[in-house]
Amino acid sequence: MSTSTASLKKRRLKEQYFRLAGFLSVLLAILFLGGVLGDIIYKGAPAFFRTEISSKLYPHLLNAHARYTIDKPWVIASDDVDMYYKKGYSNRLTPLQIQEINMLKTMGQIRVSFNTGFFTHSDSREAELAGIWGGLVGSFFTLLVTFITAFPLGVGTALYLEEFAPKNQITHWIEANINNLAAVPSIVFGLLGLVLFIHFLGLPRPSALVGGLTLGLMSLPVIVVATRAALLSVPHTLKEAALGLGATPLQVLFHHVLPAALPGMMTGVILSLARALGETAPLLIIGMVAFIATPPSHFLSPATVLPVQIFNWSRSPEMGFVENTSGAILILLLVLALLNGGVVFIRRRFEVLK
Amino acid sequence: MRATAKIDVKHLSLFYGDKQALFDVSLKIPSFQTTALIGPSGCGKSSFLRCLNRMNDIVSNVHIEGKVLLDKEDIYISSIDVVELRTRVGMVFQKPNPFPRSIYENVAYGPRIHSLFKNKSDLDEIVELSLKRSALWDEIKDRLHQPATRLSGGQQQRLCIARAIAVNPEVILMDEPCSALDPIATAKVEELIDELREKFTLIIVTHNLQQAARVSQQTAFFHSGYLVEAGETGALFTMPQDERTQGYITGRYG
Repeated sequence: MSTSTASLKKRRLKEQYFRLAGFLSVLLAILFLGGVLGDIIYKGAPAFFRTEISSKLYPHLLNAHARYTIDKPWVIASDDVDMYYKKGYSNRLTPLQIQEINMLKTMGQIRVSFNTGFFTHSDSREAELAGIWGGLVGSFFTLLVTFITAFPLGVGTALYLEEFAPKNQITHWIEANINNLAAVPSIVFGLLGLVLFIHFLGLPRPSALVGGLTLGLMSLPVIVVATRAALLSVPHTLKEAALGLGATPLQVLFHHVLPAALPGMMTGVILSLARALGETAPLLIIGMVAFIATPPSHFLSPATVLPVQIFNWSRSPEMGFVENTSGAILILLLVLALLNGGVVFIRRRFEVLK
Repeated sequence: MRATAKIDVKHLSLFYGDKQALFDVSLKIPSFQTTALIGPSGCGKSSFLRCLNRMNDIVSNVHIEGKVLLDKEDIYISSIDVVELRTRVGMVFQKPNPFPRSIYENVAYGPRIHSLFKNKSDLDEIVELSLKRSALWDEIKDRLHQPATRLSGGQQQRLCIARAIAVNPEVILMDEPCSALDPIATAKVEELIDELREKFTLIIVTHNLQQAARVSQQTAFFHSGYLVEAGETGALFTMPQDERTQGYITGRYG
């Protein structure tokens, strides 16, 4: 009796250690995540605000392009002034300029207002004018191409392989290859896109079409794998029930298998699109890294995407771009969070029906 | 067999790849009676049942020799449409498998895909009649549009029976329909089987010998892929002709 209680105590203790280890890992993960997010928010939040000056007496304090917009009462200040006024960085200003800024401050002719340009402007060489609009539009066009190509092809492939294809050596080989492709580094797909779409098909280089097709290649195997997993999870008894009632295989597929598999399929598709949205490396390879100051108007016009724009900004030395980089990351994270929220919504929606 | 044979199986052999599961089985299934298929696990009784509505077709590598005649017509010749066959020969499975839809939609599904009704009130009638025949109507008539998955196991199985009879089949195959049910639900399903015999020809696979004795008029005993013995249920249980049958029904093995 005493030995068994001793061993029981030991087992309980082991469980407690294990729980503690698990709890500590969660705590550590939250700490890291919170640290990263906090840092980005701390650095990026000021990007949503800009410094403006209402006096034309000191044109050298204003943005070089904005200083001629004489019709506006408030003019955007240069990024050096912006950095000093918002954060106190003075190393790129002369003592005289600092004096002038302080004077404007006492006269109430300098202010910080919401930076609408950050959302409505495209990329610029000047940090105070640069915005994410071009990148957002480019990302939208690119992702649209990715969705249009990868979704029907991926789902169709999975449906055929899972429901109709004969189970033989060839299909087995194809399945194994698709599984492997899902794990191939994304940059390899960039090389494939470069050769296939630009060198071979001769499509225009930094366009949303090429970017979207390349990301579509990347997403395809992931969508196939996710869709097949969703189809496999449909209970066999459900198919038998329908077949036993005299439903044709196509009716079984559309009436029972697809509705049951849809939440899983949509989850896979949206998550792979989210991955495509945040992808940078393959787009650098196919030349979407260029500086593009206007938003794309169609699928063939030169375009950049949000993550590539973040990458470009992160290489700029100006303090203003450091701020913009973090600000744009915040927007990208927001879009990704919305996509993931969509996944949760779809899952809930369909689980209610069960 | 006094009654006319609804299904006449002649020299049926079944192969899963190289493995033979049934050996030269010949059996006549009489109309409007319940035929029980008994035997130890893996004896081929479920495989035999699935030959009768060609549910084995969906398993790859299946190969069949011999004939299965339904009303004197071979169901394995190419001119037979499997879809039509399965509306004539319905099936109830071991585990209750309602669709994840409402109770009403479960029963209405068969009539819907086969367009067995003219208008909504026709369909309502079919659903009500099927649920009444499966003795479920009184329990669920107020919640027809609730998810079928919320019903108890026994209710789900009776719903599956209602779903099967909604397309008005001639034969109903039941593959151990009570093995996942508690004794009370089992008793209800057995009672139901006895009533259904008036309208349908039933074939039931069961592990439960008492159940076979209670519900069936004819019993067939399978052993390692062979049909050992078949005959009138009372006679088979009281005076088995074969030693193996005797061993099984007296509980010596199986």
